[in-house]
Amino acid sequence: MKKYILEAKNISKSFGNVKALEDVNFYLQKGKIHGLLGENGAGKSSLMNILSGIYQPEKGSIYINDIKQKSLDPESASELGIGMVHQEFRLIESFSIQDNLTLSKANIYQDNFKEAYDKYSEIFSLSVNPEKKIVQLSVGEKQKIEIMKLIFKNSNIMLLDEPTAVLTPQETDQLRISLERLSDEDEKTIVLISHKLREIRDFTEKVFVMKNGKMVAEDLSTVDVTDDDLVELMMGSMQKSIIDKSNKTGDTKLSVESIEYIDRVSNYKILEDISLEIKAGEILGIAGVSGNGQVELANIISGVEIDYSGKIFINNKDVSRKGVKSRKKLNLSYIPENRLGVGLAPGVSVLDNSIVRDYFKTRLGPHLSRSKTETYLESLIKKFSIKAPDSKAEISTLSGGNMQKLLMGRELVSNPEVIIASQPTRGLDVNAVEAIHTLLVDQRDKGSAILLISEDLDELFKLSNRLHVMYEGKIVKSFDIDNADINNVGLAMAGVIE
Amino acid sequence: MNNFKLFKRQTVNELSTFYSFLIGFIIAIIIGSIILLIQDKNPIDTFSLMLRLSVGSVNSLSSSLNKAIPLILAGLGISIINSVKLWNIGAEGQIFLGAIAVNFIYINTQFNNPSFHILVLLLAGFVGGSVCILIPAITKVVFGVNEIITTLLTNYIVFGVTIFLINGPWKDPKSLNFPAAAYVGEEVFLPTVIGKLSFGFLICILFTFVAHYLKNKSVFGFEMRIAGGSAMTAIYAGINAKQKAFIAMLIGGGFAGLAGAIELLSQTHRVSTGISQGFGYTAIIVAAITGMRPLGIFLVGSLFGALSIGGSVIQTIGVSTYIADIIQASTLFGALIIQFFFTYQIKRVEND
Repeated sequence: MKKYILEAKNISKSFGNVKALEDVNFYLQKGKIHGLLGENGAGKSSLMNILSGIYQPEKGSIYINDIKQKSLDPESASELGIGMVHQEFRLIESFSIQDNLTLSKANIYQDNFKEAYDKYSEIFSLSVNPEKKIVQLSVGEKQKIEIMKLIFKNSNIMLLDEPTAVLTPQETDQLRISLERLSDEDEKTIVLISHKLREIRDFTEKVFVMKNGKMVAEDLSTVDVTDDDLVELMMGSMQKSIIDKSNKTGDTKLSVESIEYIDRVSNYKILEDISLEIKAGEILGIAGVSGNGQVELANIISGVEIDYSGKIFINNKDVSRKGVKSRKKLNLSYIPENRLGVGLAPGVSVLDNSIVRDYFKTRLGPHLSRSKTETYLESLIKKFSIKAPDSKAEISTLSGGNMQKLLMGRELVSNPEVIIASQPTRGLDVNAVEAIHTLLVDQRDKGSAILLISEDLDELFKLSNRLHVMYEGKIVKSFDIDNADINNVGLAMAGVIE
Repeated sequence: MNNFKLFKRQTVNELSTFYSFLIGFIIAIIIGSIILLIQDKNPIDTFSLMLRLSVGSVNSLSSSLNKAIPLILAGLGISIINSVKLWNIGAEGQIFLGAIAVNFIYINTQFNNPSFHILVLLLAGFVGGSVCILIPAITKVVFGVNEIITTLLTNYIVFGVTIFLINGPWKDPKSLNFPAAAYVGEEVFLPTVIGKLSFGFLICILFTFVAHYLKNKSVFGFEMRIAGGSAMTAIYAGINAKQKAFIAMLIGGGFAGLAGAIELLSQTHRVSTGISQGFGYTAIIVAAITGMRPLGIFLVGSLFGALSIGGSVIQTIGVSTYIADIIQASTLFGALIIQFFFTYQIKRVEND
């Protein structure tokens, strides 16, 4: 019997000057669930994209069932039974479940769809009519269909890229059971990518750990390895930055009273009775699975969305009916979740993007001084160590981290009284995350009141003084960070409140 | 196996648009020469004749520049509207409605001071152009209707209105049944500066700087760029993107309307179908070649004016005037293709 169903040897891949993968080895045993652990940007997704034929490696070779594969492209990888679920859904929203499942020409259940659908619905505990359109499904259901799609096109090696990122803890549990059954009953070989220790521990038999494009641990038995070992492998010599939470707090800077928001299109109540208060020098974390009203709340507090009921006070001034500009004048800053598209305008120069917040302060009547804006950008670049070689170049020529630094710098440079930071570190590498955390904490110490919306519990626990959990548009639970317990927060995020 | 992939360049040479225009123009001259050779004409003779008759004397140069006025003004209008990433295909109609507005005001008002009278008529032209784009602007901002379609369609409507007016209510009985409105009085003719060069050209220079300032140096220009880049960023920044788009459209339409007014007051002196010979469409080419830069529009517009004068005179040696159109269109094609190579680089990606 063959030892490995898939073997990748000495894979290297770089993007521009960045080495995404360096001499990586990776091998899978048939019918087992493997974990691939690593921080954001460690190279997990790049490796998966190479295995599924989307990227071509510069060096290295791939064996499937001991046969060397000359070059993999998406089509040949799929024929060899390698299937991948990407982080973003790749379903056709306007098609039915059945159409999505049978779309691939590799589909093996053309004639007995019903039978197969029933079987796998049971495994995934999915009770949805296959005629239903994808649009109508919940996020958790879509994730199940994505994975089922692989089964329908006969993928025996299933690469799942952070499938739990969008799931509640309960749905995650559910997924674990489904995957176990697939590996036991159907002998599917599964790779689960994650940066969450607990999942790796719960889901997998074997674990690989990546760090900075290198495989730092291969084929460990999950039962034999301790959490501390994994953390150390993943983070290197980790220094868990303890942030002092004993800083002085001052007067209430932001207070929000019974916000209610109804989406005019769907007539659906997005936010219900949201009240909160933040003092100077305090970070209030909002935890919650995305899509529970966080974006809308941030938009309402910043003045982007004004069609709501309730009251908002900045420094005791009622701004409920004021627009974005007057809230900015009271020195409120908003770092939106959607970096490129909301915070920064694509197709517009770095220079123009750098003055989006403060241009109306520096204007001279109708005149916009070029030299003043240039100086302004230069000061941002220096102060926040942003790499932006050409100020006239389009904003999208910057890397994600530099874009976020520019956005943060622009919003923080004037020492705002109130900061709303929505997913400020999503998709950034470890260094950029650290830099942005430092920025926020510095700002807190300068006396800003900060509302931090995040899905990353580690980030929230690290930075916040207090935590609110949002679920279905309501604040369902509040914690002082000293008394907060990660499990209780997780449960509250899933709507379980004892 | 080797693959070729496109990469966007990190930095783009500032003069790239100018270089791509130059190369595009050379390509166009080559294409024109080939066509001339096929017709057994000597390209060098033809082009030197074109050159001589379009810029060789004060008179020919001034007619070339007169021809350039509507191209430049309409082109500037298009470039202002493009700041919010909208396309104005309706400059042709705006030119006509500008002229119609001039005639309407001329017929219905009385002024003693001719300079003031001319000023009022020019203003009427501007407003006429704005009115012409009003419906596309409203439908765009309120309902999100594609402005390319609506501005294009207004061209046909305005042209129909023009035909109606010059065959009906405004028809000049002295025109020997030629469909045209009556001439305006000589007191409102735009004066000439040097040779035949119309005073309109000075207005044109002024408006080039106005457009340049508006687009590149003003707060409004910045707000238009952000609104054009992302409507969401505009809302986030407290910029009313719809308002900016609306104002930009009205101003842009006004520029083209002004072109119509100048054309009437300095060239045709009456409303007829001859107010514009496709200036509004050629202006799109002019604006696109220059990457929507006002100063570039001024230069390329002037060149294209000379080209069409040159094109119309070479008929005398039996060459079709279409050679000028071919050169204009090929310049755009060439310039756009070259611009592509300035924006992207092609790299070979090795597999395996």
